[in-house]
Amino acid sequence: MIHSLFLINNAGDLFLEKHWKSVISRSVCDYFFEAREKAVEPDNVPPVIRTPHHYLINIYREKIFFVSVIQTEVPPLFVIEFLHRVAETFQDYFGECSESTIKDNVVIVYELLEEMLDNGFPLATESNILKELIRPPTILRSMVNTITGSSNVGETLPTGQLSTIPWRRAGVKYTNNEAYFDVVEEIDAILDKSGTTVFAEIQGVIDACVKLSGMPDLTLSFMNPRLLDDVSFHPCVRYKRWESERVISFVPPDGNFQLMSYHISAQNLVAIPVYVKQNISFFETGSSGRLDITVGPKQTMGKTVEGLVVTVHMPKVVLSANLNATQGTYNYDPVTKILVWDIGKLNPQKLPNLKGSLSLQSGAPKPEENPSLNIDLKIQQLAISGLKVNRLDMYGEKYKPFKGVKYVTKAGKFQVRT
Amino acid sequence: MPYLGSEEVVKELRRALSNPNVQADRLRYKNYITKVIRYMTQGLDVSALFMDMVKASATVDIVQKKLVYLYMCTYASDKPDLALLAINTLRKDCADPNPMVRGLALRNMCNFRMPGMTEYIEQPIVAGLRDKASYVRRVAVLGCAKMHSLQPNTEIDGTIVNELYALLRDPDPVVVVNCLRALEEILKDEGGVVINKPIAHHLLNRMKDLDSWAQSEVLTFLLRYRPRSDDELFDILSLLDAFLLSSHAHVAVATLRLFLHLASAHPTVQADALLRTSAPLLATCGAASRELRFAGLCHVQQVMRSQPGLFGTHYKRFFCGYSEPSYIKFRKMEILVELVNDENVALVLEELRSYCTDVSPELAQAAIAAIGRIARTYSEKCLDILTGLLGLKQDHITSAVIQTFRDLVWFCPQSTAAVCQTVGACVDSPQDSEGKQALLWLLGEHGDQISSAPYVMEGYIDGLKTELSSAVKMELLTAAVKMFLCRPAETQDMLGRLLHYCIEEESDVCVRDRALLYYRLLQRGVEETRKVVTGPKSDPSMSVLTGRQEEPISEWDSTFNTLGPLAGCDLCPQTAATSAADQPSCRAENELLPESTDVTLSSPDDAEEEISLSLGPPLSHETFEKMWLDLETLHRQTLGFPRPRAAPDTLQAALQLVKIQTLAFTPGDTVPWKAYIYTRSTETLILAELLQGDQQAPGSDESLVVSVKQQPVNQHAIRGFVSVLKSVLQTLNVDTL
Repeated sequence: MIHSLFLINNAGDLFLEKHWKSVISRSVCDYFFEAREKAVEPDNVPPVIRTPHHYLINIYREKIFFVSVIQTEVPPLFVIEFLHRVAETFQDYFGECSESTIKDNVVIVYELLEEMLDNGFPLATESNILKELIRPPTILRSMVNTITGSSNVGETLPTGQLSTIPWRRAGVKYTNNEAYFDVVEEIDAILDKSGTTVFAEIQGVIDACVKLSGMPDLTLSFMNPRLLDDVSFHPCVRYKRWESERVISFVPPDGNFQLMSYHISAQNLVAIPVYVKQNISFFETGSSGRLDITVGPKQTMGKTVEGLVVTVHMPKVVLSANLNATQGTYNYDPVTKILVWDIGKLNPQKLPNLKGSLSLQSGAPKPEENPSLNIDLKIQQLAISGLKVNRLDMYGEKYKPFKGVKYVTKAGKFQVRT
Repeated sequence: MPYLGSEEVVKELRRALSNPNVQADRLRYKNYITKVIRYMTQGLDVSALFMDMVKASATVDIVQKKLVYLYMCTYASDKPDLALLAINTLRKDCADPNPMVRGLALRNMCNFRMPGMTEYIEQPIVAGLRDKASYVRRVAVLGCAKMHSLQPNTEIDGTIVNELYALLRDPDPVVVVNCLRALEEILKDEGGVVINKPIAHHLLNRMKDLDSWAQSEVLTFLLRYRPRSDDELFDILSLLDAFLLSSHAHVAVATLRLFLHLASAHPTVQADALLRTSAPLLATCGAASRELRFAGLCHVQQVMRSQPGLFGTHYKRFFCGYSEPSYIKFRKMEILVELVNDENVALVLEELRSYCTDVSPELAQAAIAAIGRIARTYSEKCLDILTGLLGLKQDHITSAVIQTFRDLVWFCPQSTAAVCQTVGACVDSPQDSEGKQALLWLLGEHGDQISSAPYVMEGYIDGLKTELSSAVKMELLTAAVKMFLCRPAETQDMLGRLLHYCIEEESDVCVRDRALLYYRLLQRGVEETRKVVTGPKSDPSMSVLTGRQEEPISEWDSTFNTLGPLAGCDLCPQTAATSAADQPSCRAENELLPESTDVTLSSPDDAEEEISLSLGPPLSHETFEKMWLDLETLHRQTLGFPRPRAAPDTLQAALQLVKIQTLAFTPGDTVPWKAYIYTRSTETLILAELLQGDQQAPGSDESLVVSVKQQPVNQHAIRGFVSVLKSVLQTLNVDTL
């Protein structure tokens, strides 16, 4: 199925290869490099490239291309999801998935790849099970390892897949029994010049960290479950009960996992937390322009907007920006033509404003396209859709667990047109 | 990377590895081994250390073992004789009490790709198949496939195949799936693993124990199974129902494919499955990973071929974000074009308009072309936008707009007047050859409606010496000749200059030949030239014919969830049409050839009698008259209803829609009313006269009489023709009443 995997960095260096069947020469990547060159931006490389004898399916993540070589017909979504899983596993193990961490941990990387695929077929991809086969490196453990010479490989086989519930290993024991849930919502929105919503939807996930002994059977209920349009669950959730009673009933996997993801697209339900008043104009003569941006709170349900960052992709002819920010710092990168204004906390009494002039390349015509603004923000303790967890009950075990729910709202692809 | 110093490095490493002091210190020893592996992954040839590494495999440290195995697998094929030395250690490990070591050793032994391995690995594999640890069984099952691939041409070992089939009942789900995978590889020449009823039902019952990868693969294997009865079919479908909404897109899509395949005889079930999967598909289109989004969009596009309305209300999901990669934006635009309806057209056009000024010229051009496609249905609004874009005076935009105009005029002739007005008023001209060709085509084809046409063309003729593209020159020749035919006085002089230049000075043979062709043609006389050069223009019924039709699901379900649509080799008809439209001149000629305009009709009167009519090359009045007088009337029939009161244009268009050409008819209410029509059918030419109110003809007072002549005779075709004609006229009568 998946014949080989090549990892290629942004500069086009192939820094890791792994073959699960016969060895395929690196030269197959020339087709990839060709496509990479044609695409100019690394983002634009098409995910599926056809070569005379193979298909190359690639994903681009954290400035690394994961290029897989396929020889027979396969479902493309399968391979793409698998490659993402590989990247996620690296992230999980090393804290970040970058060229340097992969090179530093090359031994573990090979161990992982060996366990995740055999003969080109996916074997163990659940992080629970992998972590029992190959222990992730920690600073403490690597110190202990250097002193004692022990290794970070589990001595026994994972029991997880042999228990009656495939995603949970048997005989889990904790001294502190705790279950935490994070409701994370991302707003994807496009606002037009006048501030009206062109398109808005909420992508939400509930991440869980469950450390409970034994075989707990949990039930999570919401105050307002009807809000959710499309939901998809971790395989552990009993779908029938959701359909009939709108509660989430499940035997959780051990550790961190994503319980569910959902989607709210009804436009009247999607609140837009901030408004942006902007005026970016370029003059016909004098090769200069003016920029004036003000951000203010709109529907924040009384919470504070934090981590506010405005990013503007300027037209190519903009050479420099001479601006004045009433709050936060701004930075204009003349190479990438990106203006980043890091505001921080939004104070509703004193609205942050960025104002000043832009200087353009002299002689160049006035740019046609208007730059668009990307906004990043964070609101703690609020799920912007209004989703609220009602209660969490546990059956099947006798102890009393510690429970907690956290809400956070972030901007996803939040864009303002000018 | 130290490619050059490799010898030094290898020497140093060998010294270290064979140093007894180092060997005694586990930690230092392992560090050196790690170093070897690191060099190996960087592409340095460290195969010379093979002997030292084999020695290092005799250890209790699993990580060290893994590293050495990795090393051995990489170099085994280069050093087969040395690798044999390692096999003993590996075979010993296969009997280790720790199942992890057993599995590891077995897997790596199978990975040695060198001849003669089979005799050493067969016995451990067979033992591994019966191992009590599932980890080892998983490895052993795939080992069977690897063993087979070492000797692909040998006979298949029946006992192993049987054993694998038996292991399909293994309690460990991964073993089950690995069995399928291994059998598929081993039995590739015989058509792969056989899925019979017990196996299919066993797999279906195990589905929920499998991980998502395995589910997806099992669903693909199940495509081979055909249920015996409808009851069984619905049992299977209800077992699979929950997987349609799986949180893993690849499982949901694989399930959908299986649904479509199994329920091919039950369109309602298929439609229901599509409806239910639309939610996960849309979610994939909004996934965080751009590659997943792209794959989702490709699948949505395929589904839309049969169910264009399914995503209609979600059109906003397909609006492009600024930072999305262009391959996603292209797909989204293609989808948006398909989703346009009366309610959202204004918003979609507004959205597409904003893409027209995108930084990337390809994207801007694609957006303009998309507006052009919508213009075939909503011409007025789109023409406004396109005209506005010309005002931006950007070269690539102007060029794309002109090309769009050209295609629009061809597909939707009613917009000709508006387009001509805009083109006439447009001051700057496109700079690239594609755009120039499009402009010239418009000038030539509709020169009579663009007042400034000769002057624009003169500019091109004057600049001919600096023109590089021969395609533009050819188009210029054709356009100039066409223009000469409709506006001779203004064009004669420049056409002369153009022909002279192209014949005398042009170096490109194709251009010269084309010029000579036109020159000789003009020598034959203007009328002759007119007949050849200005054939019938595009036919107004074409937009109806090229309109999007719902395709049956069977058209695309075989490529659903495969690589084809993503790699772009699955050209849906609409993209094929636009790519053909890029060459208008050759398209124009093709379209008017008889075989390409065939249309198959089944008449409502006699369903089994199908007849195909075609337009074919037009007949001149003289030929028609001559044939009409020469031939005998073969068939005369009173149709039983009066002539339609519709306007002459409507009548003509309606007849053309069913491929009947109108030659002439008497105006309005004159009595007797007559019309002459003709058409072609398989190998024959049918001529007909419609008559009403003639005193001499019996029964023509109140009703139409049709007389048919034909050459050569084909009674079947006549019957078909009459029934088609009848249904068209009846429809018109109903409409005008």
